[in-house]
Amino acid sequence: MTILETRGLGRTFGALRAVADVSLRVETGELRALIGPNGAGKTTLFHLISGLLAPTSGQVAFRGDDVTALAAPARCRRGISRTFQITSIFPELSVLENVRIAVQLKAGGNFRLLGGRALLEASERRARDSLGALGLLDRAREPAAMLPHGDQRLLEIAMALAQQPELLLLDEPTQGLSPEDTAATVAVIRRIARERRVTILLVEHDMDVVFDLADRVSVLHFGQLIAEGTPDAIRGNLDVQTAYLGGPE
Amino acid sequence: MNGPRALALAALAALAALPWVLARHQLSILTDLLIFGLFALSLDLIMGYTGMVSFGHAAYFGLGAYGSALVLVHSGQPVPVALLAGALLAGVVALPVGWFSTRATGIYFAMLTLAFAQLLYTVAYKWRDLTGGSDGLAGVPKTTLFWGGPSLATPHAYYFLVTACVVLALLLCRALVRSPFGRALQAIRENERRFVALGRAARPFKLVVFVIAAALAGLAGALFAPFRGFASPEVMFWVLSGQGLMMVLTGGIGTLIGPILGAMVFILIQEVLSSYTEHWMIFSGAVFVLMVIFLPGGLVGTARRLVTRA
Ligand SMILES: Nc1ncnc2c1ncn2[C@@H]1O[C@H](COP(=O)(O)OP(=O)(O)OP(=O)(O)O)[C@@H](O)[C@H]1O
Ligand SMILES: [Mg+2]
Repeated sequence: MTILETRGLGRTFGALRAVADVSLRVETGELRALIGPNGAGKTTLFHLISGLLAPTSGQVAFRGDDVTALAAPARCRRGISRTFQITSIFPELSVLENVRIAVQLKAGGNFRLLGGRALLEASERRARDSLGALGLLDRAREPAAMLPHGDQRLLEIAMALAQQPELLLLDEPTQGLSPEDTAATVAVIRRIARERRVTILLVEHDMDVVFDLADRVSVLHFGQLIAEGTPDAIRGNLDVQTAYLGGPE
Repeated sequence: MNGPRALALAALAALAALPWVLARHQLSILTDLLIFGLFALSLDLIMGYTGMVSFGHAAYFGLGAYGSALVLVHSGQPVPVALLAGALLAGVVALPVGWFSTRATGIYFAMLTLAFAQLLYTVAYKWRDLTGGSDGLAGVPKTTLFWGGPSLATPHAYYFLVTACVVLALLLCRALVRSPFGRALQAIRENERRFVALGRAARPFKLVVFVIAAALAGLAGALFAPFRGFASPEVMFWVLSGQGLMMVLTGGIGTLIGPILGAMVFILIQEVLSSYTEHWMIFSGAVFVLMVIFLPGGLVGTARRLVTRA
């Protein structure tokens, strides 16, 4: 079954076509990697899928429904959660509260002005589960800003995961991580994909990570999808090699 | 018993005992300080907990003052009726203002709130038939606690009314910021874009807290009018909005109790300085600058740092 489909999706910034005519299908339960050189439009495509940016052309369908007209909050409530390329957390709130509020915002009861203790406790339990899964539980009480960079990246995944999404968008989760942290993050992502049966769309620059994790790979170049296939097929694809050789890296 | 609770009980005991210790005019100053403490407390809800810096908060204090003054002057109802009217008027006016202003964020939000406040000030100034224009409404009586009930015209009685209102408002705000709604506000303050990506639009939250803060500022204004016996356009002027920001920062933003103390200290410093020199504004400005530099987090923030270090 197809969980996510974009049809002719495009976004321009002035004269720049950051994403152009992208038609992408992701099947339920797969782990799809999205690769492409710097500036290829990967993050912009994530914004279009999660609703943080409006497309200038095309549609997004999630579980068969056209969600193009829905804003980001509504798409999140339908089951699309995401992380950001540039770490985006609530710095002064505790690690636990970062995750708990993610649960609360999706679960509801947000306009309980007084009391709401049962609601707070229920969301806290789920937040603890999620933090435990990512090995962050022992730092739950610290302000999120105090965590080292690698743990902040994991915290973002914990926030998204605690929302029990059907589709998880991860924008370069290993960016700026040491080799050890990268290995740990890869292990976490593999476990999530296996245990939670969540569909994952992953932007990643590290090819080892991509070929290690992905069921299928899509390649974006100058805003366009130029190839799609299994990791092995993509590895041998000449167009992809040219795109990378021609890219700014 | 833990530290904060012991402190709170001690403060309550002091508030209860002070009327028998202080001289009449001192009690009157204390009442005044508490009223502005309530005003600063209400501003902390939007500024400290939601990250919305309003430059027009005095408008709601003023609306509360006029609402209460009109009820008391024209109908002689008990004071609580006037308080309700003042808070309600401020809240109702804040609804459309908030609806427009929350379309913007940051400095644009601040400018919109300022523009609306100046507009309301002008209305108060020009609508002579209703507001008395620049003279304002004078002779606002401190009526009774309820129909046929005890008079509030003594300094003691009115002091206790104000104290009760401030304590209740503080407890209300405390519950509010700890509720699911209050937690959401703090997440908006920390990172609005993240908040939105997690499944809720921020604007409804901002609008609701803006109206609540306005109603509480209105309550402060509604207490003020009968206390001083008048309501005039000055109480809606932007200067008070600016002083509100300084009170919150002096006491400790995002701490609730801090802004109440901040308002008290801020006004006391002004009172003391102005009794020594006519150039007091220079000195009170300097005191404020020094506080911001050397006491980051305000009085309460600094005190907490010292306690955790000790
Ligand atoms: N808000 C914006 N305004 C103008 N141009 C933008 C904006 N966002 C992205 N762009 C441009 O669109 C293009 C695609 O950017 P995008 O961030 O989607 O690339 P990316 O594939 O995620 O790159 P990277 O690997 O560096 O993260 C770039 O040329 C970028 O400069
Ligand atoms: Mg990117």
